[in-house]
Amino acid sequence: MTHKTRDMLCSVIMLAFGTAMIYFAQGIKHKIASDVGSAYVPTFIGICILAAAGAKLFIALFRPSASSAKKIRINQDMLGGIGTIALMLGYMLLFQPVGFVVSSAAYLFLQMLLLSSRENRRPLLYALIAVILPLAVDALFVFVIKMPLPVGIWGF
Amino acid sequence: MISAALANVFNPVCLLLIWMGTIIGIIFGSVPGLSATMAVVLFLPMTFSMEATRGIATLVGLYMGGISGGLISAVLLKIPGTPSSISTVFDGGPMAEKGEAGRALGVGILYSFIGSIMGILALMFISPMLARVCLLFSAADYFAVAVFSLTIIAALSGKDMLNGLLSGLIGLALSMVGMAPVDSSIRYTFGNFQLLNGFDITVLLIGVFAVTDIILAGFGRRDLAAHLEQKKYHLSGYGITIPEFIRQIPNAVISSVIGIAIGILPGIGGSTAGLLAYTAEKSRSRYPEKFGTGIIDGVIASETANNAVIGGSLVPLLCMGIPGNTVAAVFLGGLLVHGINPGPLIFNKSGQYVYGIYFALIVASVFMLIFERMGLRIFARLLDIPKRILLPIIMVMCCVGAYSSNSRVFDVQCVLFFALLGLFFKCFRMPSTPLIIGFILGKMFEENLRRALQASHGDWSVFFTRPISCGFLIVAVLFCTYTVWMNLKAKRAAESAGQEFDTSEEEG
Repeated sequence: MTHKTRDMLCSVIMLAFGTAMIYFAQGIKHKIASDVGSAYVPTFIGICILAAAGAKLFIALFRPSASSAKKIRINQDMLGGIGTIALMLGYMLLFQPVGFVVSSAAYLFLQMLLLSSRENRRPLLYALIAVILPLAVDALFVFVIKMPLPVGIWGF
Repeated sequence: MISAALANVFNPVCLLLIWMGTIIGIIFGSVPGLSATMAVVLFLPMTFSMEATRGIATLVGLYMGGISGGLISAVLLKIPGTPSSISTVFDGGPMAEKGEAGRALGVGILYSFIGSIMGILALMFISPMLARVCLLFSAADYFAVAVFSLTIIAALSGKDMLNGLLSGLIGLALSMVGMAPVDSSIRYTFGNFQLLNGFDITVLLIGVFAVTDIILAGFGRRDLAAHLEQKKYHLSGYGITIPEFIRQIPNAVISSVIGIAIGILPGIGGSTAGLLAYTAEKSRSRYPEKFGTGIIDGVIASETANNAVIGGSLVPLLCMGIPGNTVAAVFLGGLLVHGINPGPLIFNKSGQYVYGIYFALIVASVFMLIFERMGLRIFARLLDIPKRILLPIIMVMCCVGAYSSNSRVFDVQCVLFFALLGLFFKCFRMPSTPLIIGFILGKMFEENLRRALQASHGDWSVFFTRPISCGFLIVAVLFCTYTVWMNLKAKRAAESAGQEFDTSEEEG
């Protein structure tokens, strides 16, 4: 992908966002006669987004800079990135049903493994941290701050 | 009255309570997701059974420590521990990356102390006068302040103004979710009752600043061991020399004045104060291009201003009973529980307690200066923890922080949503700071616009006929024009020199 393509893609997404914002603002009822209404500012913001995104698209299409034709070099570990997002998603979905302690322990262990290379992988240390940290945080919240965290199906 | 207040504050029990409050406040402030507000709220019930001065002194320690503690994670983890520390990240983070974490923290602590003392002095000596000025502000004036504050976006957009503007507009759009001000109309909730209250600023901060970085670390995990785990730091005094200190006096004074002024105006808060002071210093500086690359000027501006807010926010609280921010509102509750009624007569009726608050603030500032500095070695050692271990731990703490802000799992899930939004911004080289500014100022912008137009029966001239409003709007236009002009000038200069002016640059 070149810089130009990236800017065009960004502009199109922003144009869609601005349009959606204005569209949904039309459904907001006007309640107080002396007031401009709750749709006024969102509509204004939507129009501003359309204007800014339109200008960005125009510049990307008709006034390209020296760098716009350059290709963006991607030197990223997709497995590490997508894996991290997937682990976070799983953690957040399990936070309530499984409880804070168990979900955090599982997430910590797996995330530390994912971020480690073969040379510096220490599964035993990770397991120890994964067990002790959530228990300590849970104890702090339950006994000191008096704000229990989700306990989940196993009751802890 | 003064001698009674002195006797009450400077007794061992009260001093111990202030010390504990300050330390606990620092811990709350330094953990992303926990905040000064949360510390004061959680410990408020414990103060009910205490003697009035001791109870209030404990709350003062928590407030002071909480605001100052945000500096630690802002520098070491590039995550603002509290919203007040957002602008500390801009230069504190890069300083840590350059191996100057200790210096950034030392300078931050010293200037937090200076900002606090300036705020306290303002509270003590000019509060009645400032309170009268505050009464002159109408909805139109607050709207103009919001517009002026939004122009910060122009200064923080980096080289691509359009990207910065779009980012700020997305922030404004996100602040529209939930019940609208004035008529409570429900907007953009798509039937989800959890969205009725809108998004929480803490959740947005955690998602965009912290979790996005953890995801990026996942994408760059091969480099984690090579680069991120070898940071060096050294600590000496407070990290600043006497000539540097003298050179920074104007910065500290201007930032303090901004912090005090913002503190006095209800509903704005330390985050805006820090951002305004940072922008003011950047505009005033002879080397604005260095801001965001890791210089002490930015850390000083931000930390001085956000701590000066403490004294400022107590001015309308004590003189008129108007809480300037959330912590001040909780404080108000604490004062009322102890039978202290803020208002113009507070100096006559409860003078002993008012002076008690002054002395407690000074003591808490000194404790913060000493004990936060003493703990620096421990805090700075956080950098030695391998990132493959530290980042997952931060993630768990972020989720705990998000959950505890409203005790609901929905906020934890929103963290991931905002993290992905932050990732989107990174992919498209959009700066994320304007997003936060737009979000913070969105409600203030809309509410005061609508209230002002209601009061003027829809007449827009109200914004230009009121001197305060007109003044702020003129300054906003001038500032914006100046920033755009400087940006274009830099672009032309780069092009004429045959250099590339890459507009796809992230802010510092």
